[in-house]
Amino acid sequence: MPPIVSINDLVKTYPGGTRALDGISLDIQRGEFVVLIGLSGSGKSTLLRCINRLVDPTSGTILFDGIDVTTADRAAIRRVRRRIGMIFQQFNLVRRTSVFSNVLSGRLGYRSTWRTIASRPTSSDVAAAFENLGRVGIADRAFSRADALSGGQQQRVGIARALMQKPEVMLADEPVASLDPATSHSVMKYLEEINKKDHITVVCSLHFLSLARRYGTRVVALKAGQVAFDGKPAEIDERRFKEIYGEDAEEVEIGPDRPQPQPLAADGAEQVDPSR
Amino acid sequence: MAEYFTARGLPVPLELRRNPLTDWRRLTVIALVLLVLYIGLKITNIDTGRANPEYVINRIALLFKWDFSIMTPRDEFETYMDTAWWKMIETIFLGIMATAFSFVVALPLSFLGARNIMTGNPITAAIYAVVRVMFTILRSIDVLIVVIVLLAIFGPGNAAGVFGLAFHNIGVMGKLYSEAIEGIDAGPLEAITATGANRLQVVWAAVLPQITNPFISFTIYRLDANVRLAPVLGLVGGGGIGLDLFQSINLSQYGAAGLIIFMIVVTVATMDFVSAQIRKRLV
Repeated sequence: MPPIVSINDLVKTYPGGTRALDGISLDIQRGEFVVLIGLSGSGKSTLLRCINRLVDPTSGTILFDGIDVTTADRAAIRRVRRRIGMIFQQFNLVRRTSVFSNVLSGRLGYRSTWRTIASRPTSSDVAAAFENLGRVGIADRAFSRADALSGGQQQRVGIARALMQKPEVMLADEPVASLDPATSHSVMKYLEEINKKDHITVVCSLHFLSLARRYGTRVVALKAGQVAFDGKPAEIDERRFKEIYGEDAEEVEIGPDRPQPQPLAADGAEQVDPSR
Repeated sequence: MAEYFTARGLPVPLELRRNPLTDWRRLTVIALVLLVLYIGLKITNIDTGRANPEYVINRIALLFKWDFSIMTPRDEFETYMDTAWWKMIETIFLGIMATAFSFVVALPLSFLGARNIMTGNPITAAIYAVVRVMFTILRSIDVLIVVIVLLAIFGPGNAAGVFGLAFHNIGVMGKLYSEAIEGIDAGPLEAITATGANRLQVVWAAVLPQITNPFISFTIYRLDANVRLAPVLGLVGGGGIGLDLFQSINLSQYGAAGLIIFMIVVTVATMDFVSAQIRKRLV
């Protein structure tokens, strides 16, 4: 089967002259859980944002399901974007509005502008919103203001919003970097679940190698905008680790993972495991 | 104190070397301020000679002998439109209309004056700079000065008052709105863009929810300020109850003046309270 995302010799130079990506070539197959690792500034965020063209690459090509993202016009890029879900380190919810309308906004790419302005979601969208909120276990908070939720809950709203798109690929930009270890695992479990059950390809950048080993089916390490390692999580040994993170780096562990996600148990998944 | 440093051969820090009570720099500054105040007294020649205590108490007492005849038509030529309470309502509406006019102008301009929207290309950046400078100029000219200038165009009356008030307010509201737009979080914009939404949808779903509350809050704040300013406009010919206040003082009708002042105080205090309550709930 052809790869769902095919990146070829991608270069991104920012106006200040920073070369964030320096010739990245990468094929991502359907169903993979790819974890991007690397130091801050190694180009992980830029790479993710090039895939749905939130960032315009300087040169190189990205094919998404055979469509050239780098040359697509505005309408075409919107059709590509709605097939790619994305979650963010800072969750990026509209804080003043309800969880429910945040989740519904995941459907905007499929809806006419007037439906947005008149705020008339279709009944199937409303049903899907509650289904997805139920999946991430916060259906009971649907009408709370988004900023009234804890960090872990907000990230789950972000996942529900992305699921509204019925995406084929899920991009996750440091999804757990603002969360505590226990909550991190809870969020990663949901990503793992949508990867395994819904067969959504996940591309996720992470800081902790332990999380990468635990959840990734493939690890891609970036260093100064280039691919420094690409392989199975288990292949990263002491020597490779030092290649990626530098000689002085020392690996830190993030706490033990929790058994399984617990849908509909609103706060249960948030609590710190007492055995730790 | 200083021994800690001298014993160790370290330089004594400045704050321990100086005695603030005898420091000559401080004493010089204090002497200069006193000198300026002394010169000020000589130049302005403030004369309080007329106000002996008896006279002051007498006049203040007169202000509290409220003359309620101004609340009803006083002769066959006057209607309810000439009564003080009607003038007060008219004055409140001067403030409301001025706020409405400045809202209509400041709203579109504020987007042109928001840095995060206008940067990225030299033309829009230039527009941004021009709009912000314009806001500053509008703000720096006091309402009363604008009203006096407008008297030459509209003549004395409500038109000069409303537009004078609105003129200054466009500058203030434009600045407040622009800063509200500059303060929005770019994260939701990125997230909504990533869902495949078009530009209008992004503005509708991610920008508007972030700016509506600050905009409403700032508008009520300025409405409050305008209603507070409106009674003063009459003093320079800008219409409203200020004109009656000015006249009654000139005609030595202290009872009428006192009542008008009381009405203004009640109105302004009410506006202030209500606006604070509404704005508190909007945060």
